[in-house]
Amino acid sequence: MATLQQQIAEKFLAKLEGSKDVDAEKLAQLRLLFGEGKKLKADDFLKVFSLPAGGDLK
Amino acid sequence: MIKLESAHIEEVRGIRKLDIDFGKGTFAISGPNGSGKSGVIDAIEFALTGQIGRLTGRGTQGLSVTEHGPHVDMTKFPDAAFVELRIFLPGIGKSATITRKVSSPKKPTIVPADDDVKAALTEVADHPEIVLSRREILRFILVEPTKRSEEIQTLLKLDEIGQTRAALNAAQNKLQNAERTAGAQVRSGREALQLHLQIATVRAEDLLGAVNTRRKVLGLADIGELTADTKLDAGLSAAAKAAEFNKQSALRDLKAVADAVKGFPDLAKTEAGAIVSDLERLEEDPTLLTALQRRSLIERGLDLIDGPECPLCDATWEDEQKLRDHLKAKLAKSEEARKVQQALVNNGTAVAQQEIRVVGLLALVHKVAEGQGESGFAQVLTEWKTDLEELKAKLATVEGLAGLKDRLTAGWLGVPKVLPDSLRSLTEKVEARPDQTATLDAQTFLTTAQLRLGDFREALRKNKAAEIALASAKAAYDAYCDVLEDELNTLYEDVQKDFSTFYRAINEDDEARFTAKLTPSEGKLDFDVNFYERGLFPPGAYHSEGHQDGMGVCLYLALMKRLFGNGFTFALLDDVVMSVDSGHRYQFCKLLKTHFPDTQFIITTHDRLWAEQMKSAGLVTAKTSIAFHSWTIETGPLVESNQEIWTEIEGALGKGKVEAGAAALRHHLEYVSRHLADQLSAAPPFRADGNYELGELLPSVLKRMKDLYGKAADAAQSWGNNAEKEALAKRKASLAKSAAASNVEQWAVNKAVHYNEWANFGKKDFEPVVAAFKELLGCFRCETCESWLYATPRGNPDSLRCACNGISLNLKPKPK
Repeated sequence: MATLQQQIAEKFLAKLEGSKDVDAEKLAQLRLLFGEGKKLKADDFLKVFSLPAGGDLK
Repeated sequence: MIKLESAHIEEVRGIRKLDIDFGKGTFAISGPNGSGKSGVIDAIEFALTGQIGRLTGRGTQGLSVTEHGPHVDMTKFPDAAFVELRIFLPGIGKSATITRKVSSPKKPTIVPADDDVKAALTEVADHPEIVLSRREILRFILVEPTKRSEEIQTLLKLDEIGQTRAALNAAQNKLQNAERTAGAQVRSGREALQLHLQIATVRAEDLLGAVNTRRKVLGLADIGELTADTKLDAGLSAAAKAAEFNKQSALRDLKAVADAVKGFPDLAKTEAGAIVSDLERLEEDPTLLTALQRRSLIERGLDLIDGPECPLCDATWEDEQKLRDHLKAKLAKSEEARKVQQALVNNGTAVAQQEIRVVGLLALVHKVAEGQGESGFAQVLTEWKTDLEELKAKLATVEGLAGLKDRLTAGWLGVPKVLPDSLRSLTEKVEARPDQTATLDAQTFLTTAQLRLGDFREALRKNKAAEIALASAKAAYDAYCDVLEDELNTLYEDVQKDFSTFYRAINEDDEARFTAKLTPSEGKLDFDVNFYERGLFPPGAYHSEGHQDGMGVCLYLALMKRLFGNGFTFALLDDVVMSVDSGHRYQFCKLLKTHFPDTQFIITTHDRLWAEQMKSAGLVTAKTSIAFHSWTIETGPLVESNQEIWTEIEGALGKGKVEAGAAALRHHLEYVSRHLADQLSAAPPFRADGNYELGELLPSVLKRMKDLYGKAADAAQSWGNNAEKEALAKRKASLAKSAAASNVEQWAVNKAVHYNEWANFGKKDFEPVVAAFKELLGCFRCETCESWLYATPRGNPDSLRCACNGISLNLKPKPK
């Protein structure tokens, strides 16, 4: 049985799939973050949200 | 989760050495207060989690597992204090042994050390809530809604979710600040561009109009469309591009700065004044200042927590969560300080916005000064810019703002005294330069325009990136909050539904329509229960203490069910339904059997009646229960055991301790006579409170056994079973002889010579008493299986038996 934390994380990520403000690259990074199972800190999210739109390709 | 097969406990809490076979089933431990029951719970909890709940929490300051976990005589030898549990892990179908020493509570020895076994035990260790004690039971019921919310959130591990939400919020706040800064830089870049181009807006049409006028002077083609790649100075030779100085533009820049300087004293004056006002308030109220300083420190500490060691003072806590809770509680106490903190930071941000604009203007003057060889003035501007950048960093934090009171009062910009004169001097110097030719003016105009457009575009790009980052952070935070709210609402609905079901199961006689409502809001969790269909009220409003006890257990069970689902296989209930009356306790047994058939409950009680009820309700059996009759510091809990009790008394008498032997015999007789009264359906004088004296129980048991032997003898005669009739006559005679020898009647009748008087006996006087009672109790047991005899079925028994059926005496005579 998934824990409440896991359930919320899964539904949160699923909800973001339909968000125009979070692109695929950021979503993938968020999946990785939540998948690590560690305590998440503000700086972890800052790195993800500050990724250049569309990825880090120049 | 787990099921407990057996436990071996040595030198932990009040226990010296004890083995219990739990057999993976629900198990009852009974005994009077101070007999060591909770010590068993402590030991199991310690083995599974490395913690002992009774040594933590409110009122336990100064207590620790390491110092107070070992038996009081072994505190200097914590290595000798350990617990070994044999457990079964239903999830992976394996049995394992976990051994934990008090000397190293965080390093259990697990055999087999398989990854799946270790993972399963790590999960159990993370759930100290498997223990529910009486003192904790009302923490969900009779507490403030905010406290209840915290308790339940902690139990359900919701604090981790709260931390994730807080981290998302913090990221959003930081990105919002970054976006504000980027916005200010856009405004600064736009101002510089407009100033140079002398246009009111940065519309492409206006911009290209100004640029194409100069391009025409140079014979360059007009730029028809402004695109991302457009170069305003396209077509200029490299040499022409190198010349950046444009006299008219420089004069406009200098004038703009000179005009701006006039407004410097009023720049963000309101916000700076508000900051000073808040800082003065903090000076006048040292308590508020301390709360605020601690708040900042604690916030930083919370950010840095990464384990049970406090990052602020290096103290080691039981676990990281307790440390986190401790710091959060301190934060909650300083709400007023939080408001001051928020106002300070907001006003600091507003001042910082203006700082960015001023720095943008300085860059314009700096360039002119350098170009005109005014290195001294350029250096002043460089130093001022550095100072302003340092100021901006300080404006972002409370600690930084705290040191700025004087500066904010005197004029936060810290304008260099030489600025007006230097500006005037520089302006005169530029004015004194010969006018540029129309060609040179056009060239430098385009060069400068391109540079400022580049800067503006870069600021726009950064601002766009900041907006995108902020939008994604906001979308993520909002999504997380939405999901969290939905899940918590569902969770609380499930919990309130289960809670109501469980409570109704216990109280179906008088509250069959009971309902409850859990209402989460803003960090609170209101809890109301239906009182006889008169409406919803707080649990403490009308319900009795017994009902509240029942609510506590039911809410606990509902929460555990939600937390573990089918994995809820184990719980330790330490004396938890004491205020519930006997009738409702039967219902409680039924609840556990019906709704939690796969959960092993280890239940302790000091109430012998409740212990017997658990057996008669079928929740436990004689094999899955244990009774402690007393406890001594030397021996630990003394288990009600036919074999051990006589050895124990003999040992006490061997040491000349008649008092200890007398107490042991008395407790044993109390236990056995109560047990036999129940097993044989004896009829002592009825007592409404169930607190039967030994002097009432033992004679009634003797009488009942004589009656049963008489009935069995009559039945044997009716069936013509002479052999059994003779055997029964011997049994009856033996019982009478033993009863006479033990002088039961004397002890019972003569209150002045009560059983306690044994303690005053000499060893020689007491030894025959022990021998007589040992022989007497032997009349009630099977010599083969050593179980106590029992009459069955209850009420109107038709046989008298032992557990192995070696004794099975028919009580029903042959029908005539």
